[in-house]
Amino acid sequence: MPVHATAALAHPTLAAAEATAWDDALIRRYDTSGPRYTSYPTALSFHDQFHADDMSQALERSNASQKPLSLYVHVPFCRKICFYCACNKIATKNTALAEPYLSRLDREMVLTSRHLDTQRPVQQLHWGGGTPTFLTLDQMSDLIDRLDARFGLSSAPDRDYAVEIDPREADVFTLRHLQSLGFNRLSLGVQDLNLRVQTAINRVQPRVLTETLMEEAHRLGFRSLNLDLIYGLPFQTQQSFADTLHQIIELNPARLSVFNYAHMPTRFAPQRRINAADLPSAEEKLAMLHTTIEMLTQAGYVHIGMDHFARPDDSLAQAQRNGTLQRNFQGYSSHAQCDLIGLGVSAISRVDDVYAQNPTQLAHYEAALDEGRLATVKGLRLNKDDLIRREVIERLMCDMAIDLDAIGQRWEIDAADYFATALERLHTAEQDGLVTRQGLYFQATPIGRLLIRHLAMAFDTHLECQGSQRYSKIV
Amino acid sequence: MSYPASQRRSLLQEARCQTCSLSSLCLPLALELEDMSQFDAIIRRRSPLKKGEPLFRQGDPFTSVYAVRSGSLKQVTSEGNGNDQLTNFFLPSELVGLDGIDEEHYPGTVIALETTTVCEIPFDRLDSLSEELPELRGQLYRSMSKELRDDRRMMRLLSRKTADQRLASFLITLSDRFRRRGYSPYSFRLSMSRADIGNYLGLAVETVSRILSRFQQQSVVAVSGREVNILDMQRLITLAEEEAQTITR
Repeated sequence: MPVHATAALAHPTLAAAEATAWDDALIRRYDTSGPRYTSYPTALSFHDQFHADDMSQALERSNASQKPLSLYVHVPFCRKICFYCACNKIATKNTALAEPYLSRLDREMVLTSRHLDTQRPVQQLHWGGGTPTFLTLDQMSDLIDRLDARFGLSSAPDRDYAVEIDPREADVFTLRHLQSLGFNRLSLGVQDLNLRVQTAINRVQPRVLTETLMEEAHRLGFRSLNLDLIYGLPFQTQQSFADTLHQIIELNPARLSVFNYAHMPTRFAPQRRINAADLPSAEEKLAMLHTTIEMLTQAGYVHIGMDHFARPDDSLAQAQRNGTLQRNFQGYSSHAQCDLIGLGVSAISRVDDVYAQNPTQLAHYEAALDEGRLATVKGLRLNKDDLIRREVIERLMCDMAIDLDAIGQRWEIDAADYFATALERLHTAEQDGLVTRQGLYFQATPIGRLLIRHLAMAFDTHLECQGSQRYSKIV
Repeated sequence: MSYPASQRRSLLQEARCQTCSLSSLCLPLALELEDMSQFDAIIRRRSPLKKGEPLFRQGDPFTSVYAVRSGSLKQVTSEGNGNDQLTNFFLPSELVGLDGIDEEHYPGTVIALETTTVCEIPFDRLDSLSEELPELRGQLYRSMSKELRDDRRMMRLLSRKTADQRLASFLITLSDRFRRRGYSPYSFRLSMSRADIGNYLGLAVETVSRILSRFQQQSVVAVSGREVNILDMQRLITLAEEEAQTITR
């Protein structure tokens, strides 16, 4: 159980004291590259001998569990490119381009739903991108109708239907329309409120745009509104970012994601438009992170883990207290583990014991569907060891603690022996104060919470054969 | 559309309060027959407005209020920045122009949505007549009060309600206005376009169309062009009242 989260709620002063237990040198020592563990094994372990047939068999196997479904739809279009972006996207102003894409999505839905028991409830729906609000209102209606026709959407009050919004491309009419389509959760991209920073990342977005949408979302009953911020952007300083945070805290979103900008211009072309000399130094970034945690904790937010913060009364923080938090490709989720169907270019599915990924090239994605087959190009079927370790890493990332005895019992293994290598690695982390140990129960300290990826890496057996330079830095 | 001279004359002649089918809903509602002729004497008959023709424009000096005899009108308020907001619809028996009394000019342009006839009631004459006829004054107050109440309801609708609730409320209000005039509350014709409805309710026209077709799928209403049939009034009322899901921002 994540006892520290409960403590943070009951004793805000204690939480504030915890946040000051900060050790620059220690954090820098652990500031190596590492996976974000939105999946285990990570996408780098997916192989190209995994085909559409493997995916459809997994879909059919998954029906036995009758788990609810979670649908992710990738809308790859953006009207304008933000220079920090590392997502899969296509820059265009022509909304007509979305029409053929929607047809392909529909074909993918048909091919997928053939293998599914569509009585299974669609508990989660997430539109990401790119920019989902690139679609016209009629195209959004159309997409919802197709999803409903193929999978049967839910109107249950506990459904979790979320959409990512670019406040520059949405207004109150958009929100009213999305609400009428059944969405009940929003995530708004903000990144930074400082004009100089906004100009440098090609994303000028006055605060009032965000504020207007937040007010309307509140009136319409959208819940758990999330704002995205990024630190490590050009011209940011500890002071300027503190100023942004101060304004964000005033806006009082239920959830906050504060991502670390990883400058990898060789991998992501738009980032070449960012001048490396304008980026804050490693020290400055660390100071920003420190300020972020301190200010948000002071303001009453719970640090869920990784980049995520939530108000203590939000469902995310509640789920963490109850030990029911889940990790998925969108970060954290308060909803029970579903079979996740990823639709669209570059989308990843997690179904039964497999991961399956669509091509990142639009042309390849479209070609596959035009030939009447699922677009799966990569994937992995997890063996028993992968499944055990996935559970360990997921619980660790969500609970900030792991009870290896319980894992041992569930999987009928001798945990001390099975995880011997991991226990050895965790020993150093324990000495460094990242984690406390009682028998086979490990609990991350506040610093360890920040470096939770590093603790998870101790259990990762795929890491050795991957090379670390493809992952972003931990902090 | 223009009327032949004979028909126009008969429209004008027919427009007498004593014989008007709307008199029981209109200003002379409370008047005795002999008083009604006094009231009738101050009314100016006007030739019908064509579709799209303005009754008056925003900023015009306030001189009269108008009672709608037939047809319908919309009030459009411009904010100077090119944004036109549709602020009211007027149906037969309803009074147009009451919101111009205090500032002595009309705050919005009122445009006919279809061929529309109105009775012009010069306000200075109405004002002095209502001193003689307390029943008339009472009815004037009631009309104003009703307009205030309707505006407050509209504010609540626009400040909180979801798109479904807005459209359901709108249809119920229209139905009620038809019912009060003795028409079927279940079957009526919309004189306004989807775009007008969207503008009035603060919704994109796509949202209006979307929700109308959803209401149709749920067999709450049947819509064909501008003809509306309310199939399940109880359900429509529930849709209008349903509270948005619990808010935990």
